[in-house]
Order: sequence, then structure tokens, then C-alpha cells
Amino acid sequence: MLRYLARRLMAAVVLVALVSSGALLLTRLAPGDFASELFGAGATRESIAQDRARYGLDKPIATQYLAWVVHAVRLDFGTSLLYRRPVGELIRQRAANTAVLALAALFVATLLGLPAGIVSGSRSGVVPHVIRGTSVVLLSLPSLITSLVLVLIAARTRWLPIGGMQSAAAWQAGLTARAADVAWHLPLPAVALALPLAAMIERLQSQSMAETVTMPFALSALARGVSRRRVVWRDALRPSLVPVASIYGFVIGSLLSGSFVVEVVTSWPGLGRLMYEALGARDLYLVAGCAAAGSAFLAAGSLLSDLALAWVDPRLRRAP
Amino acid sequence: MTASRCLRLPPLAHLGLVAAFAGSALTACGRSAPPPGAAPPHALISSIRGEPRTFNRYVGRDAVVDTFSHLTQATLVRINRRTQELEPRLAESWTMSPDGLACTVRLRSGVTFSDGAPFTSADVLFAFRAVYDGRTDSSLGASMRVGGKPLQITAPDATTVVIRFPSPFGPGARLLDNLPILPRHKLEAALDAGTLHEAWGTSTPPSEIAGLGPFVLKQYQRGQRLIFERNPRFWRTGEGGRRLPLLDRLTLEIVPDQNSELLGLQSGQIDFTQSEVRPEDYATLKRAADAGRLTLLDLGVGLDPDSFWLNLRPDRPGAAKKPWLGRVELRRAISRAVDRRAFAETVFLGAAVPVYGPVTPGNPRWYAPDIPRFDYDVAEARRLLAGLGLSDRDRDGVLEDRSGARAGFTLLTQKGNSALERGAAFVAEELKKVGLAVEVAPLEVGALIDRIERGDYEAVYYRFLTTDLDPALNLDLWVSSGDAHVWNPNQAAPATDWEREVDRLMERQVRALDQAERKATFDQVQKIVAEQLPIIQFAAPRIYVATSTRVLNATPALLRPAILWNAEALAVSDGARR
Repeated sequence: MLRYLARRLMAAVVLVALVSSGALLLTRLAPGDFASELFGAGATRESIAQDRARYGLDKPIATQYLAWVVHAVRLDFGTSLLYRRPVGELIRQRAANTAVLALAALFVATLLGLPAGIVSGSRSGVVPHVIRGTSVVLLSLPSLITSLVLVLIAARTRWLPIGGMQSAAAWQAGLTARAADVAWHLPLPAVALALPLAAMIERLQSQSMAETVTMPFALSALARGVSRRRVVWRDALRPSLVPVASIYGFVIGSLLSGSFVVEVVTSWPGLGRLMYEALGARDLYLVAGCAAAGSAFLAAGSLLSDLALAWVDPRLRRAP
Repeated sequence: MTASRCLRLPPLAHLGLVAAFAGSALTACGRSAPPPGAAPPHALISSIRGEPRTFNRYVGRDAVVDTFSHLTQATLVRINRRTQELEPRLAESWTMSPDGLACTVRLRSGVTFSDGAPFTSADVLFAFRAVYDGRTDSSLGASMRVGGKPLQITAPDATTVVIRFPSPFGPGARLLDNLPILPRHKLEAALDAGTLHEAWGTSTPPSEIAGLGPFVLKQYQRGQRLIFERNPRFWRTGEGGRRLPLLDRLTLEIVPDQNSELLGLQSGQIDFTQSEVRPEDYATLKRAADAGRLTLLDLGVGLDPDSFWLNLRPDRPGAAKKPWLGRVELRRAISRAVDRRAFAETVFLGAAVPVYGPVTPGNPRWYAPDIPRFDYDVAEARRLLAGLGLSDRDRDGVLEDRSGARAGFTLLTQKGNSALERGAAFVAEELKKVGLAVEVAPLEVGALIDRIERGDYEAVYYRFLTTDLDPALNLDLWVSSGDAHVWNPNQAAPATDWEREVDRLMERQVRALDQAERKATFDQVQKIVAEQLPIIQFAAPRIYVATSTRVLNATPALLRPAILWNAEALAVSDGARR
């Protein structure tokens, strides 16, 4: 088990190194740079050249990359050109915000998707059709549209704040009140993020449940007179969780690394928004740092997924 | 008091997760609640689209730091954005010498920075030293020079400053509107150490940032908002000796998405935005305004029409293959081929007026209405193109040049800006009708600027933002040596006779002290540019801003920041306090 974990950790390190290096090099190679974006058309050439020199953007790409790698191995991802602060510090703050959002979204998605999938995969009639139809619609809608519709509803009804993570007054309040305030801002972005995910979980779980209830052990239980409800919820549930468990880790990783549309629309100060700002400003160190954080989340998610899979399917624990 | 009242939470706060915290929140909020019977603060919330990159206006160039500077700092004089007249600020009065070479400024006495340190002429000297210091690489350095030379500043005493211009300068003291006076006692050490560029970054504690503006930064909640409170030491009073600013608190919410910003405005969670109303949002906001939920203000014709230009650099790519791209007849044909009224209808959904030069009717002081107009005339456009040897030799609807190559070019524009993308597509469609094959290539802004800077393009469709209405303060666009002379920048010597003539006229315009003479000279410049069309404008949008009905005393202007340029006068209607 330890060897397995060590192997997975090595793979994760390689993934993070490749993704962050790729992000840095691609951002550096693309036309334009931080200085040209900063100054705009009509800026003096001297100003642009001076800023390029100040930020080291005038150096050859290999020199720049090597210097970055030397620092990155010590977990120093450089200083953001945009905010003039260490990339690690910026990412730590934003990643925590994204983690709060992602975990809430995962909780909501599981709460909605899993029972819906069990119901639609084990029953016949109108309800499964309605669930299936809703899932297809939610899967088809881009996150941007889902987020905007939810923001629109919040704006019209004024039930929820339309954006942000905290109220302006919250900073003066105590810790508990601040946590309550964050929780108050959480439903909108969490639901926006959770809905397509819930639909995906529902679809996977539905298919898996439909297959599981036709397996010999389930059929024999039904033949013995065990009620269908009992077979579904007691006997078939755990084996039917394998497909969902296998993607759960990737879902966690992608939630943490890819929620930028929702974060931008709902003004949630997370990692996705930071990446969006970094890309817009061509802040190559921040782009690389965000990519590293995203890939680290993905690797961790994948590891969690494997562990979850081993839990639901004991045969996998014995696999070499 | 309940938790929801304390944090302004609507009724659903009592549901779900929040409920778990509500009990203890109630106690926690009680600690920071205002005393019983105290009036709620006069507070407004505006939105901004991006994070601040720095709090140092001498270094930062973006709109956020400019807004920050308007709120927390002050200048010696101010151009009233509505009337365009010069107003005294930290300067109580000023006198120009008859030769226009010196300006003696008398400073207000008894003024202090927000931290209590006195403001003196030494702070003014520091400000000039800071922006001229090469190590600062100040974004303001270029705008504080005349003819590329710095001004000479002396301070005979603590309340007097003498500013000497290297040559007579028509705009005179208007130049000083660009320079906020930052506190010497806070920043001089950084300037001496050559680290002013790093000073006042976004990690700087708000208590370290002092200013002479109406507000002080209370808190920066990264990724969320900037909270300002009134500067209790602000030196200006309003009518009848009323204390200024009128607001106790001003919050700038960071809302990166413009759609969310609009919804925030409609729902009352934001009082006003920094962005102007997009044409596609006008109808929605008009309905809200008609229903009394918002105030929609028409600022008139905007200052910044979208601009089309062809690359006229001698070393442009393909100059030998497509010599006709550099000909004035082509530019006139393009101007003739585009129906400006249809352009205004399509691109700006009707909220625009046709324009024929870079200066729009939104700048009445300098606008020349009688410049030559190459208006919509497709037949004339075809005739002009035929004169260049471009004709449809193979009858496929696309013109070919004398070598048989298809006549066309690639038009670069900014990706993600819907008005620019629509405009570029419209121009391409109009030019297709006269046989020119135009391929539109939207690029990310950084890549676009890079291509413009390197001269690696055939044509561009882009929007410049006006920073000052006086042409002498936007000299870079007009003179051939200018960086913003985008079609052929930084010329060592004027490439054409008409550019030489424009250079000569602009030099006269800058040096003239008589305003009528300056206007007449600039009219001549506009006529030449309208004849030569190095840069073509089709329509200028009408500008609207929207505010909640709570906002009082807003005097929005075309120059940015539209509302916050006069933040000290903003107030909240009675009974609508946050």
C-alpha cells in the first residue's frame, strides 16, 4: 500500500511539474506579454522596454524557465507580476475559498444526484423520466448560463446575495458571524456549480443501479421475496456506487481547478477567478502557479477516487 | 438586533447552514453594532470590474488605481469634468506669467494629510521629483512633460510653488490636474532608495496610506471589495460650510462580470457602476428607470469612437505586394463604403451618432463640425478603388489588383469586446459589398497590442480611451513622433507632407496662449486629418450611466471615473441609508 501511495505521489509530482511548466511556457510563447497588456496601444517604447527588463520578460525563454524551475522546486513559484506579491501566498488564499465552494457544491451535487440516480435507475414510471429529462437539460446548459440564471433569480427575488463571499459589514463582526455570512453567500455559487455535477452523478448512478438490480444476487433476493426497495437500498446500493466513486476524485479535482466561470459570474474570490485574471494580464508566474495548484488538486482527487473505489469494491484492494 | 440585520441579510438567512450559526452570530454582531439611536451611516456601494494592482498612482496605470487616487488623493487644480473649467483644489490660486513660461501657485494653508501630517510645498516638490525619477518609471512622467522636457519646480516658501515650463504652454495649469500629491513623509525614503515602484502595493496596510482626498481606505478585502471611509481631515467644505465628503462610507465591490454587475444594480445591491451602460442593456435599464427603480443619465455623445486604421509604416508586412494599402484613395473609399447610420444602428443599437474624425461632438470645446466628410457613397467608393487599379477581373465579386491577387486585408480587433467585434464585422461586410475581402481576426488584448507595437498587421479596429480633452495633452496621437500616432508611430522625421504640416500646427497650438488661436489652429489640424484619414471613425456611442435612486448629487461626466470624479459631493437620499 505504501509503495502504491509513493508511486501515486510521484505521478502527481510529475503531473504538477508538467502542467505548470506547460502553462508557463505557453503563456510566455503566446504573442504579447504582461508589459504590452499593461500599457496598451500608444505607450512609449521606452516604458514597455523598461517594464520588460524590470520583470525579466526580456530574457530568453530558456533562462527564464530555468530560473523559475530552480525556485519552483523549493515551492517558490515567483512573484505575481500583476499583484507584486508571492504567487504561493495568493494561491493559498484563493485555494481556500475555492475549496469551501467546491466542497459545498460536491455536498449539494451528491445530495441531489445520488438519490435521484438511485430512484431513476430502479424504478419505472413518470418520475424517472422527469429526473432523466432534468439531468439532460442541466448537463446541456453551460455553467455560464446556469450561473447567470441563478444570479438573475437572486437579483429578482432578493432572497440571496448575487455575488461575493462576504458582506461588507462582516469584517467587523466576530468569527461565527463571519462564517454565517460566508454560508449565506454560498448557496448561489454552490448550486450553480453543483447542478451540472448532480446531473452527471444522477446519470452515472442511474445506469449503474439499473445494471446492478438485474445482477444474479439482486434477482435471487427478489425471487426470495425480499422487497424491491430493500434490495435497492440495502443490497444493490454499495456495488452500484463503483462508477460514481471512480469519477468522484476527478470531480473533486475539476471542481477545485475548473470553477472559474461560476467564480467570475458570482464574484467568488477563488482560484478560478485568479487564473482568469492572471491569463487576462499575461501574468505568467501566476498562471503557472494556478495551473500547478489545479493539477495538484486533480492528482489528489484522483488518489481519493482510487481509495474510494477500493472501499466500495474490496476486490480492488487486492489488486497488484 | 438579529444576525441578519447586523449583516444586512435578507429573510432566507434563517434557512439551512446559516441557521446553525445564527445564535452565536447574534452575539458577535452586537459587539460592532452602532450605539442605540445612532443614525445609519451615509453609505454607497459602487462596483469595479477588477482588482487593484497597486495603490500607488505614480506607478499604476489602470482604471482601478485611477479611481482609488480620485478618492484618496488630491491635485493642485482640477478640471471640472462637467464644465471643463479649471478649479482650485490644493492650490488656492495661481498666476501665469505673461510669457506663459511660469506659473506661480499659492497653496492652501492649514491643510493636513489624512494622518495629520501638514501639507506643504515640499510635498509638491516631492511629487514632481517622484514622477520624473527614472527609477520610478512613473505612468505620469510623460504627461507631466512639455515637449518631452520636465517642468522646473521651486518652492520659495511653504505655501508657494513656482512651476517653469520649458516653452510656452497653452494648457498652462491644466497639466496639474494629472498629478496627485502623495505624502512626502510616507514615500520619500522609498524614492531615495529607488524602490518607489514597489511602494504602496496592495499588501500595504490601509493605515500606512495617507492622502489629501475625501476618503481614506479602511479595508481591502482581497477579491471582494475596497471599503473607504470619510477622511475626517478633508480640507474642503461644501456650500454653507457643510463638511465634505457627504458620505460616511463608500464601498467598491469587485464584480468581474458585467452581467452580474447589471443585475446587482437592478436588484439594489449596487448603487452605481464604473462602466457605462452597454447598448444591449439600455432597454432593460430604461424600463427600470421608467418604473422609478433606477436613475438613467444620458451624458450625450461619447469621447471615444471606435477607430479603424491601416498600417502606414514603410516597413509594414507586404508593403511591396500591396502598395495600394498605403494610398489615401483606399482610406477614402473605405470611409465611403461604410454606411455610418447603419453602423450606428447595428453596432450600437441606435445609441450612437455618425462621426468623421477622432474628436466627437462630446468634446464641444475642440470639436470641428465643418471638417471634410467622405460620407456613404458606394459608387464613389468603387470609383476610387478602380483608380487604384483594383477591379473584379474574374467576375467573382472580389476585386483583384493589377497582379491578379485578391484585394483584401486582415482586420485585427480585440477579442471579447462585443462592440468592437460587432463593429469590425460590420466594416468587413460593408467592404465586401465594394469587393474588398476583409478577414476579421479577433485577438486577446495583449496579443493585439503586441502586434500593433511591432507593426505586424495590415489593419486594426480598436478603441482608445481619451484621458484629456485638450489636444495639447494628447499630443502623441497627432504628432508624427508620437507613440500613439498609431498608423506610423515614432517617426524620426515626418513621413508625409501633411504630417509635417500637422506637426507644425500642433506645435503652434501647444505654444499659443490665446484660446481662440488654439482652437482655430486645431480646427486646421482636424481638417487635414479628415482629408487624409489615417484613422477612420464611423460612429460615437451615446453614453449612459445608471444609478440607484438612493444616489444624490451625482454629476456624471464623460471622462472616467464618470461618477466618482466628484465623490465628495455624493450623498444618499433620506430614508435610504444602508
